[in-house]
Amino acid sequence: MTLRVVVINGSPHEKSKTLGLVDVILQTLSTILPITVDRIDVYRLGAAFGLATEREEVGAELEAVLQRAEHADLLIAAVPVYRGSYPGLFKHFFDLIDQYALANKLVLLAATGGGDHHALVLEHALRPLFGFFQAMTIPVGIFASAGDFDGTVLLNPRVYGRIEVALTDVADLLRSRATGAMAWAATSADGGRPPES
Amino acid sequence: MSFEIGIMTFGEIARDPIGGALPSPRQRVRDSIEQAKLADEVGLDVFGVGEHHRSDFVGSAPAILLAAAAQATQNIRLTSSVTVLSSEDPVRVWEQFATTDLLSAGRAEIIAGRGSYAESFPLFGYDLADYSDLFREKLDLLLRIREHNPLTWSGRFRAPLVDADIAPRADGGSIPIWVGVGGSPASAISTGRLGLPMALALLLGPMTFHQETVELYRAAAAEAGHDADALPISINTHGYVGSTSQQARDIMYPSFAQGMMENNHQRGQGFRLPRAAFDAQASASAGLLVGSPQEVIDKLLGYHQLYGLNRAIIQMGFGGMSQQQHLEAIERLGTEVAPVVRREVGSRELVSA
Repeated sequence: MTLRVVVINGSPHEKSKTLGLVDVILQTLSTILPITVDRIDVYRLGAAFGLATEREEVGAELEAVLQRAEHADLLIAAVPVYRGSYPGLFKHFFDLIDQYALANKLVLLAATGGGDHHALVLEHALRPLFGFFQAMTIPVGIFASAGDFDGTVLLNPRVYGRIEVALTDVADLLRSRATGAMAWAATSADGGRPPES
Repeated sequence: MSFEIGIMTFGEIARDPIGGALPSPRQRVRDSIEQAKLADEVGLDVFGVGEHHRSDFVGSAPAILLAAAAQATQNIRLTSSVTVLSSEDPVRVWEQFATTDLLSAGRAEIIAGRGSYAESFPLFGYDLADYSDLFREKLDLLLRIREHNPLTWSGRFRAPLVDADIAPRADGGSIPIWVGVGGSPASAISTGRLGLPMALALLLGPMTFHQETVELYRAAAAEAGHDADALPISINTHGYVGSTSQQARDIMYPSFAQGMMENNHQRGQGFRLPRAAFDAQASASAGLLVGSPQEVIDKLLGYHQLYGLNRAIIQMGFGGMSQQQHLEAIERLGTEVAPVVRREVGSRELVSA
């Protein structure tokens, strides 16, 4: 079976260190089991998303986006640290997620920051958010500092090692949670994207 | 490999906090050359000039100061420390340093850096958002210019070169190009991959601050197929060689604290480094190369052992120091410190060989 991965990207930038980190996580993940990848950029969801205060108010398009996150096998929550925490629109996305939709959902926490002093954003900001949802966060979170990147390319082998550890810890769990069809089992060669439907 | 000891300056234009007047830019360029001349006379190995684009420094054009130093010296190597390559045209950098190399009969070197100050980016029309891409591309071009003439090359940030004749060539055919690394893992790794010598910068912190940087650098170099143990590493740090421990600290502290106030901001404002914090930085296991000749000898040997260093460049006079005191420290470094360190390192290598 294929693991259906949904990345919730909290970076507002087209190219970012946060996505550079996600790329390495996805590459590593695809060496463990077949995956498909779907990415939701919260900063590209538009003004209607920003103004929505209740799930009932959202239009059909946004409703579909929220459901994609709610139906993932694995959520990767990936954020840059803004003012000591996750960016506001990232939290806003989860404010619209159904209260029970993420219960027991596998969630990998990933963050990037200007320096190592931001590393506990994983434990003090991201993990409690998913604690509220009673999601199953993977024990090892992934953090990388600006100095670990050349531009948006992750270079520091220690972070690669950390990713390996985080995913190897839960390899069996990932396999047991995979619900995607095998027919179009994605490989890293096709970018792990599902076929056009 | 021998152990080289040198000095560097930013050409500070600052009042000597112990009671001097503000020197004129004309005075400071001459002071800088006088420092180079004395360093050469007392047998030091390297003289460096840092690049800063502000009126409290005269060092915005290091190659020109180094060219003047070339005329005043015989043996000392002359390096930028650093050339802010990201906001330079590598063709022009090469032309200037190759010319300095001819003037000095093969003594010119370049330390290419990303720059810890951002002033040069808007000055030359570059966007800080391209920080990493600029450095990568310009270093690539500079290295190609060193290897090939004529050169055909194209990139994102300047017009392409087609069979370009870039002259003059260096005196001995080549110029050492080091990469300045502040300690980010990524710069250590990319420098190691290229197999280039690494010039570590240490402002404050323990002597062990760069252990991981060096490990990552050597590992990346080995992985890319370079002889990692043969690659030169240098440490560039602040310091002062005094007549005694106490005198060294008393002379260095006021100017260093003033330099930190002007250059190292917290909450957008300068902060004054407390004397107790400075003394901690001067202690035996901390990075500053300040103290009596014996203390500085011990620290240099400590650095050599820790990192397998080949070179140490001490920045003296940061924040503004009287020329007289600056010269006295250069003389002590050359006559009392360097000979002992060279001898000790030589016997260490004899033992390990």
